[in-house]
Amino acid sequence: MILEITDLKKVYGDKTVVNISELKINVGETIGLVGNNGAGKTTLFRMLLDLIRPDHGQVFSKGIDVASSDKWKDYTASYLDEGFLIDYLTAEEYFMFVGSLHNFTSVQVTDYLSQYEEFFNGEILNKGKYIRDFSKGNQNKIGIAAALMQKPELLVLDEPFANLDPTTQIRLKTLVKSLKKESAITTLISSHDLNHVTEVCDRIILLEKGLIIKDFNKDENTLKELEEYFSE
Amino acid sequence: MIAVFLSHQWKAFWRSRNKGVSIAAQIFLGLAILYIIVIAIAVGFGMEVIIEKLLPGKDVFHVFNGFILYYFTFDFLMRLQMQELPTLSIVPYLHLKITRQKIVNFLNLRSLFSAFNILPLFIFVPFCCTAIADVYGSLVALMYVVSIVSLCAFNNYAALFIKRLTTVSTKAITLAVIVIATLASLQYFNILSIAEISNRVFGFLILYPLSGLTFSLAAVIIYIINSRYLRNNMYTEELTTAQVKRVSVDYPFLDRFGAVGVLTALEIKLILRHKRTRSAIMMSLFFVLYGFLFYKKSLIEKDEFNMMIFAAVFMTGSSISIYGQFMFGWQAAHFDGLLVNKTNLKDFIKAKFLLFTIISTAVTILTSFYGLISFKLLFIQLAAYFYNIGIGTVVVLYFATWNSKAIDLNKGATFNYQGVSATQFILTIPYFLIPYVFYLPFSLAGHPYWGVACLGIAGLAALFTRSYWIEILLKSLKKRRYKIAEGFRAT
Repeated sequence: MILEITDLKKVYGDKTVVNISELKINVGETIGLVGNNGAGKTTLFRMLLDLIRPDHGQVFSKGIDVASSDKWKDYTASYLDEGFLIDYLTAEEYFMFVGSLHNFTSVQVTDYLSQYEEFFNGEILNKGKYIRDFSKGNQNKIGIAAALMQKPELLVLDEPFANLDPTTQIRLKTLVKSLKKESAITTLISSHDLNHVTEVCDRIILLEKGLIIKDFNKDENTLKELEEYFSE
Repeated sequence: MIAVFLSHQWKAFWRSRNKGVSIAAQIFLGLAILYIIVIAIAVGFGMEVIIEKLLPGKDVFHVFNGFILYYFTFDFLMRLQMQELPTLSIVPYLHLKITRQKIVNFLNLRSLFSAFNILPLFIFVPFCCTAIADVYGSLVALMYVVSIVSLCAFNNYAALFIKRLTTVSTKAITLAVIVIATLASLQYFNILSIAEISNRVFGFLILYPLSGLTFSLAAVIIYIINSRYLRNNMYTEELTTAQVKRVSVDYPFLDRFGAVGVLTALEIKLILRHKRTRSAIMMSLFFVLYGFLFYKKSLIEKDEFNMMIFAAVFMTGSSISIYGQFMFGWQAAHFDGLLVNKTNLKDFIKAKFLLFTIISTAVTILTSFYGLISFKLLFIQLAAYFYNIGIGTVVVLYFATWNSKAIDLNKGATFNYQGVSATQFILTIPYFLIPYVFYLPFSLAGHPYWGVACLGIAGLAALFTRSYWIEILLKSLKKRRYKIAEGFRAT
């Protein structure tokens, strides 16, 4: 078990945005988090990453409360939004920065980046631009690639498919699937696109108004089930 | 329309996130202004008596005339530093059916509501209406008042104009610094006397009262220049960001500091790659010239260092107080990223120390040219330097952990004056008062040199116990990191 959530609550005003009494996530699972706007997906992610203080309950990563120690940062990589990027750096500088935090040499970083040339589609490297001058889709790519580069055991991506062009969406799906084969990576992905989620993930968690409504392993009926739920 | 703008601003103020802090600051500021106004009224009505007391035997009118331009020169410098640029984030209004002229008018009008514009009226007008009216007649008195009001308006718009230019262009700052440095040194070495010029100008005005309209003309001209500049720059900002090829840079000399060095390099890039931060640093270089104002030869000879301590602390640490007062707001846009990455907050704080130490050291070396005036000044500046890197940085960073107001660096610089205000300035008051805790006891006992030494030693002591202070800052930052991150996210 890599993640354990107990009695987690976050309240804004009189609205409870996250209310999860128990959730356990095992090593190697690829989890898709679905739910309409306001379901609490991003808030949950932020609490997982110790960016928001829960009003109640705790998040344990490998048994340690994320709010009490920085240990989880050693094996967790994430990309939620552009707020994670340092937008006045060039893409290369940003990769180097993230790499240096993990004691990668510049050769290692360059080496790593060359693996992702296809994913970048020639739009990221050696462009002579600061990150802020990239389009939103390309910023997304930078964030995702930087997260993957850290060789994490736990990967958290918030709506990674949004803003990506169709080609890159497909490439990202392949990437996530191949990661799963290579290592025991645990992945958390939220998305509004049910097709993508059901294709990539092996466990689906459905949130509504902060509550876990459904939590099940994927089978051939999952997509249909989800579509039914959302069309109600 | 202007009423609508005002109501929007009113709402922006009351609904802002840092409401508590800004209200407290406003109240404090209000009281301070009230206090100054009371003094100004007292000075205004007691002008004759005061001049006779302070400078017995001198002609009252002579002194008064000499004082006017002197006051406005000083007023101008103060405005450059303190006066709030009228803020109105104009982007939401630009695409609506509101003419640019209206927005410009609003900004111009708003800028008049400033304590800087009220004070001179209280100080000068009573004397004009009584003494001058009695001796030289009502026309002369009237033209005096007209001149003073015009000078106010002139200073108001000129200061704002220069401030606007300097937030955009580094060239303008360099130019302004050179001009002011020249004037300051001329005045300092008695080649050119503002008081003398002022006397002549107003002596002329007494003879030819209508010549006072020249001031009004100057005010109108600068008003027009200012309005035109505003109107023309309402949108060109985005268009002029030329397609320059950006290159990756690294700073090998920071490598030896490990993760701390990496974070410092990050912030140096932040400073160099944004107009807003670049000019904040340039501004602090500008303050290196404060020595000309505060290092008075007579005081140096008498070993009266009171004001010099302030000047030395301010100069050697100007970047700390000016750049530091908005921390960590500069990094608001990627604060989440810093938190989730494999960095720890301790390194984050250490990086700030390293950054401040680097800048402060550079500025201190720069200010050592004051040693040409007197060696005593080097001694004071060295003590001030130790204070800054030892204690000053801790104070500023401690306040930074309370600040959750973001600064959006990517908004066009022309209309982005977030945080440029006297309110933030208040937070640095303890920063300037603490040196006196160390200096005053000794100087009052008649040992000013011991006082200076004590300041330096205190700074060094804090420097050597830095790890302890880092722990305190770390605690404070850890406690408030969620609040800070939330505040930064919200914008």
